[in-house]
Amino acid sequence: MTRRQVLASAAPAGLCVAWPRGQARGQGHLANLASEEPVEKTMQRLFGSRTIRDGAATITLELPLIAEDGGNVPVSVEVKSPMTPQAHVKAIYILSDKNPRPLNARFNLTPACGQAYVAANLRLADTGDVRAVAEMQDGALLMVKRSVRVVVAGCAA
Amino acid sequence: MGEVRIRVPGGIARGSVARARTLIIHPNERVERKDGKSIDKNYRFVNRIVVNYLGRDIAEFDTSTSIGENPSFGFAFRATESGTLKVTVFDTHGGRFEGAAVVKLA
Repeated sequence: MTRRQVLASAAPAGLCVAWPRGQARGQGHLANLASEEPVEKTMQRLFGSRTIRDGAATITLELPLIAEDGGNVPVSVEVKSPMTPQAHVKAIYILSDKNPRPLNARFNLTPACGQAYVAANLRLADTGDVRAVAEMQDGALLMVKRSVRVVVAGCAA
Repeated sequence: MGEVRIRVPGGIARGSVARARTLIIHPNERVERKDGKSIDKNYRFVNRIVVNYLGRDIAEFDTSTSIGENPSFGFAFRATESGTLKVTVFDTHGGRFEGAAVVKLA
């Protein structure tokens, strides 16, 4: 099978073929970026009308209360999970309510991670909530939010 | 640009979960604005990261312009064997950068 055939067969199913993305040139144009939208619209785009439960008992979202530099805000997310093939966290999403493009990153995990833990350095455009959404292997969704005060905006995204 | 550093703790017990940290030297450009409107150009930012341990992909991150300059990520892995932990980074200009660290079990 050629690369073109692989792509053609995947396209109608709405699947994303992992390999060409990131290796293709010219991917940084606005048309290829997520559109500028309020966070509710991003949530709708990602999760549709699926129920999102409160994840306060399961998710630990660590962020500074005050971020001096919005261009570099450390965040870490840990979700309690045995990380077995039967019960694990499939993905962790980090979203910033006040960013023009609210989805900062999506972390796809496997049981081989052993622990549902991720950390990153975010750009935050303004003072507001940062959300972490955990998607379980059975599709269940959990969410927590934390407010961060941004002193100097990161002119994010 | 493109240096990928990985920090792994030493003396990990077999079968335990370890946390690693990776730092990518990369501008991870942000979208510029003029008069409140985004300027369209081919921004250079990291959009995909693959973590490979012992030859198996264990995690994959989709990232964006709203990650800071010199993107840094933490993640966990179950240390089953001594071997190589590899991080491959892709950006929007076709860049592909790689870093590796040796995992030594105690």
